[in-house]
Amino acid sequence: MAAAQDRLDSTFAALADPTRRAIVDRLARGDATVNELAAPFAMTLPGISKHLKVLERCGLISRTRNAQFRPCHLERAVLDSAAGWIEENRRTWTERFDKLDQHLRDIQTVDPTMGDDDE
Amino acid sequence: MNDQAAIDELVYTRVFDAPRELVFRCLIEPEHLTHFWGPVGVSTPLATIKVDARPGGVFETIMVNDADGSQYPTRAVFVEVTEPERLVWTEPDSGVTTTSTLRDLGDSRTEVRIHQVNVPEEYRSPEAQAGFATSLDRFAAYLAKFA
Repeated sequence: MAAAQDRLDSTFAALADPTRRAIVDRLARGDATVNELAAPFAMTLPGISKHLKVLERCGLISRTRNAQFRPCHLERAVLDSAAGWIEENRRTWTERFDKLDQHLRDIQTVDPTMGDDDE
Repeated sequence: MNDQAAIDELVYTRVFDAPRELVFRCLIEPEHLTHFWGPVGVSTPLATIKVDARPGGVFETIMVNDADGSQYPTRAVFVEVTEPERLVWTEPDSGVTTTSTLRDLGDSRTEVRIHQVNVPEEYRSPEAQAGFATSLDRFAAYLAKFA
């Protein structure tokens, strides 16, 4: 649980950077080499590599070990779990609010002469 | 770029037909929390709720899945308690800070705004703030592109 949370935190941190988001965006359309990823940016290869390492560390991308150009691959499951956390959080608050709404109705319609539990 | 101004955040707002003082009490009193804290299909037994509503005080619950009994403990610490308008707590395990702001709309109606940020604001340097550009809401929309 804590490990999953750590991973999620590092996923959010990794995606807080616009260059890394653009890289993820590009990889969503298919695997690409470092050179291909660097092309749209005014950035050196080492600069791009640094970003790729951040993405790799949180598991968002993987790189083939043996191929000469080591194409980068987007790990959709990691992206999905980040999206899933947000969705779950949103649902929790929505349902919590629904229940609070009902609870407030319940306690406000209680007949005061019926003996409240006297706080 | 204007995107850079937004910090990672989630915002949920709801208007309740109840006076602000009552809504505030619902958010800090276990007798009320037990009725609504768990989402659908999840209970929060009264005995598992600990609330010490003052800065540094704990806010702990154990949510129990009604179907299989699995437990989800939550642990938070209050940063600010300003009755009846503002509650701030942080969850040390996740680093998420939640601010609840209660606005009196008159007519016994209260707007509750839940604002969650990943990193406590007071811990963020200006550089970190500039770097943490992505609103989680915006991020969610961004992720939706890949769905």
